Amino acid sequence: MTAVTAPPRSEGAAKPELSDRARAETRLGQRLVAPAIVLMLVVTAFPMIRALYLSLFSYSLTAPEDREFVGLSNYLTALTDSLFWRDTFVTVLYMLVTVSVELVIGFVFAMVMHRVVFARGVIRTSILIPYGIITVVSGFAWQFAFSFQNGFVNDWLPFLDTDFNWFGDTTPAVIAIMVSEIWKTTPFMSLLLLAGLAQVSEDMIEAAKVDGATWWQRLWKVILPNMRAAIMVAVLFRALDAYRIFDNIFVMTSGAVNTESISFLTYRQTIEQFQLGIGSALSVLLFLSVLVIAWLIVKLFKVDLAAARQEG
Amino acid sequence: MLLCTGLAACSGGSGKPTLNWYVNPDGVDTLKALASSCSTADYDIEIQLLPSGATDQRTQLARRLAAKDSSTDLMSLDPVFVAEFANAKWLERLPDDAASKATDDDVLAGAAETVTWDDGVYAFPQWANTQVLWYRKSLAAAGGLDMTQPVTWDQIIDAAADNGGTVGVQANKYEAYVVLINALIQGAGGDIISDNEAGKDAKIDIDSDAGRDAAAVIQKLASSKAAQPDLTTSNEGTSLGQMFGGAGEFMTNWTFVYKNYEGLVDSGDITADEFADLGWARYPATVEGEESKPPIGGIDIGVGAFSKHTDFALEAAACVTSSEAQVDLAVNEGLMPSRTSAYETPELAEAYPPDLLQLFSESVDSGGPRPKSSYYATISAAVQSVWHSPTSVDPDKTPEESAKFLRDVLDGKALL
Amino acid sequence: MRQKIGTVIGCALILAWCLLPVAWIISLSFKSQTAITNGSPGFLPASGDSAGWQNYQDVLDNDQFRRAIINSVGISLIATALSVIIATLAAYAIARLEFQGKKFVLTTALAIAMFPVVSLVGPLFDMWRTFGLYDTWPGLIIPYMSFTLPLAIWTLSAFFREIPWEMEQAAQVDGATSWQAFRKVIVPLAAPGVFTAAILTFFFAWNDFVFGISLTSTERARPIPAALSFFVGSDPFNRPASLLAAGAVVSTIPIIVIVLIFQRKIVAGLTSGAVKG
Repeated sequence: MTAVTAPPRSEGAAKPELSDRARAETRLGQRLVAPAIVLMLVVTAFPMIRALYLSLFSYSLTAPEDREFVGLSNYLTALTDSLFWRDTFVTVLYMLVTVSVELVIGFVFAMVMHRVVFARGVIRTSILIPYGIITVVSGFAWQFAFSFQNGFVNDWLPFLDTDFNWFGDTTPAVIAIMVSEIWKTTPFMSLLLLAGLAQVSEDMIEAAKVDGATWWQRLWKVILPNMRAAIMVAVLFRALDAYRIFDNIFVMTSGAVNTESISFLTYRQTIEQFQLGIGSALSVLLFLSVLVIAWLIVKLFKVDLAAARQEG
Repeated sequence: MLLCTGLAACSGGSGKPTLNWYVNPDGVDTLKALASSCSTADYDIEIQLLPSGATDQRTQLARRLAAKDSSTDLMSLDPVFVAEFANAKWLERLPDDAASKATDDDVLAGAAETVTWDDGVYAFPQWANTQVLWYRKSLAAAGGLDMTQPVTWDQIIDAAADNGGTVGVQANKYEAYVVLINALIQGAGGDIISDNEAGKDAKIDIDSDAGRDAAAVIQKLASSKAAQPDLTTSNEGTSLGQMFGGAGEFMTNWTFVYKNYEGLVDSGDITADEFADLGWARYPATVEGEESKPPIGGIDIGVGAFSKHTDFALEAAACVTSSEAQVDLAVNEGLMPSRTSAYETPELAEAYPPDLLQLFSESVDSGGPRPKSSYYATISAAVQSVWHSPTSVDPDKTPEESAKFLRDVLDGKALL
Repeated sequence: MRQKIGTVIGCALILAWCLLPVAWIISLSFKSQTAITNGSPGFLPASGDSAGWQNYQDVLDNDQFRRAIINSVGISLIATALSVIIATLAAYAIARLEFQGKKFVLTTALAIAMFPVVSLVGPLFDMWRTFGLYDTWPGLIIPYMSFTLPLAIWTLSAFFREIPWEMEQAAQVDGATSWQAFRKVIVPLAAPGVFTAAILTFFFAWNDFVFGISLTSTERARPIPAALSFFVGSDPFNRPASLLAAGAVVSTIPIIVIVLIFQRKIVAGLTSGAVKG
């Protein structure tokens, strides 16, 4: 992909006569980014601080005058609650399964797209359709596809009864949700991987071929190690996205039969039950868990964040 | 004002005020007609549609009211939410004259009871819903059931299972599943909670013999051949189609069913012979010998506490709940009246078989409402959480577990 | 040879993967509503179950859905336009200027891209109802802008770094005024990037569901995804699958049109925005 070069700039150890210009440049730079920063913080930092504050209260919108300070007990309630841990487990499961499956399928798709010479536009156009489609629409499409009354999946799978109810039990319902999630987001994964693949030099692959490496060896010894950064960035982005899974669950099961994710639990507490106190505590916990996952992925896989942040 | 294009609701300022009436999507055509016929020289009534589930309806309304929204003038409320809304001071308390009119002697006792809270009246009963047992006569005959006598859940499950039929209920994880659970428990002489006025500190009775009887019925159905394949995701609509397919079914469902099937005859989807095979009886008994407690539902019309036109809204609410309005809803939409006088009109006598009309009003009169509590939404969600999925219900565990969970949730010690 | 066959099979797989579910939802949208109530399994409408264009007619005649289309189009376009303008300023600074706080901007953007949206809607709902932004267009436009800014900033700064800014000076040397130099040289070079950022931003806003259901409560501001999820047909007890499918198809048409026209730009934007190396 496009190689990034830092803007040509003489970083010549702070020459005194440049300091005025540098100061002016800093001023201009800060002014230009100010609106973006303010907007991003108004909608995230400010509500997050408010969530931190509200999480210390027992506070329900339906009985606002009963609001009382309870310290950290909302956190204690959440962290000792079996529902919280069950939902966390389910969420982690969604994340692990969807990201792994997407990584494999996405890589195959990327290989194909990398190779293909004919019909390149057609392939790339069609792969953007799932990417662009509304998640809610994807959820509906798959929900109806799995429905035994109006769908086709039971028809097409010979080992299933025609009246098998996919949404009647946890395992099949979780699978159905995962299918919708994977269908919709694999294209994103494969495009990121395609970008990584483009950076693997053909010469190295040729050289390996000349040395008698099999296709499999070339894949593992040359191609994959060289697109490590792309893979890790793709995994990081998709994993954090998958951990926030919400739309598909809302549309397909409304969280019934234990398919609820941690985002869905938080949503229900704040928006449906109006429990702003405990809901805020869950919001904070959700935020922290996303940070932990990001940190884990970065540490475990040594993702080059500078690459993701384009610091060139 | 950017947002007001095409929205009469924003006309504000001078001119005639518009009252927004938030309705649940039940019988919308007739409600629209009512809205225009109840509009006067002083105001226009405009319909705003709510989502279809009771829980979603509550969420949407409560969010507006929590935001002290002045454009919520009139709202159609499921009776179970009147207490919560009144308690949160989101509903205008009816002035004495309106209150006595809303709950006069003409109103069925079961319906009048739903609009009172804390010695005040907070809404006008509009229509009263109840469930009866709908069944295929040929299926009941094959099962050897005498439908003129009260039948039990055991009997209909066995009769259906032995004769290739099914039993249709509402057991998805939503409000109507609590309707079923509550009716089963009350049918066995019990309650989910009692001492409801105590709010959070209400007494929890679900862990009782009645609770276990109710769980036994659900367990029996879930493990029976008579269970429909979508039992765990079933709602009021999913089992309608089973009535005239195959051997047919027994189905507990609301009053709209009659008009629904009648409409299918008109459109040619079912034959007149099939329709003639449709039977109805009182809601099944949980335990033999104990009278069943048919579920009660319906819609009450409340006036928003933050409305700018309270007087007009009160007047409009009285108009859309009048006896004539109720007759229209019953005849066109199958939504039964909450006023006795409406049941006695010639229009209803013409639209419904007399024994069905009698069954409806009898069921409303002797029915069992769901717990009236300002924490109803919490209670309902907690019950759903433990009793769903129906395939996991176990009389030895489920009632006990749900009692414990309910206590923890009300005490704020457990997440819901 | 073997590789070629593999690639052909792979292409077929990709096409099936991407298009089959779309074909399914289109097929479903032609099943009649009575067929849906009675149950009509199978990929294609059974004979006699076809509804023709009836479902599309019904959906487009539905006031709530029509309002939702207006809301979604309006809100997404406004959010996109504002977000791209603000992101352009920031990206220019990041690509061209050396200033204190650059790291902070990039880190904030990255953090926000990872932010769990659901953890914000509670407090945001509470704030919006205090400010009177609840259930209004600005109430959705503001969060959409904030959450699309990171993507827009990344994409744009990647593009801006590629621009040979020396050409501007060269043009000025050749006698052009600085405005002319900017308009004739820089704008054409930067435009594709701005365009790409706009498309990706629009996709985000169009797709959003969490804000859409949490910060609205009537058709005044409710966008398409939320409207679809609350959609009620003539029978309140049955989800009107085929009507929903028709609505889903309608809501997907703009996406398909954009994808058909701008395929190259989107691919370039997605890949340059996220992976550098």
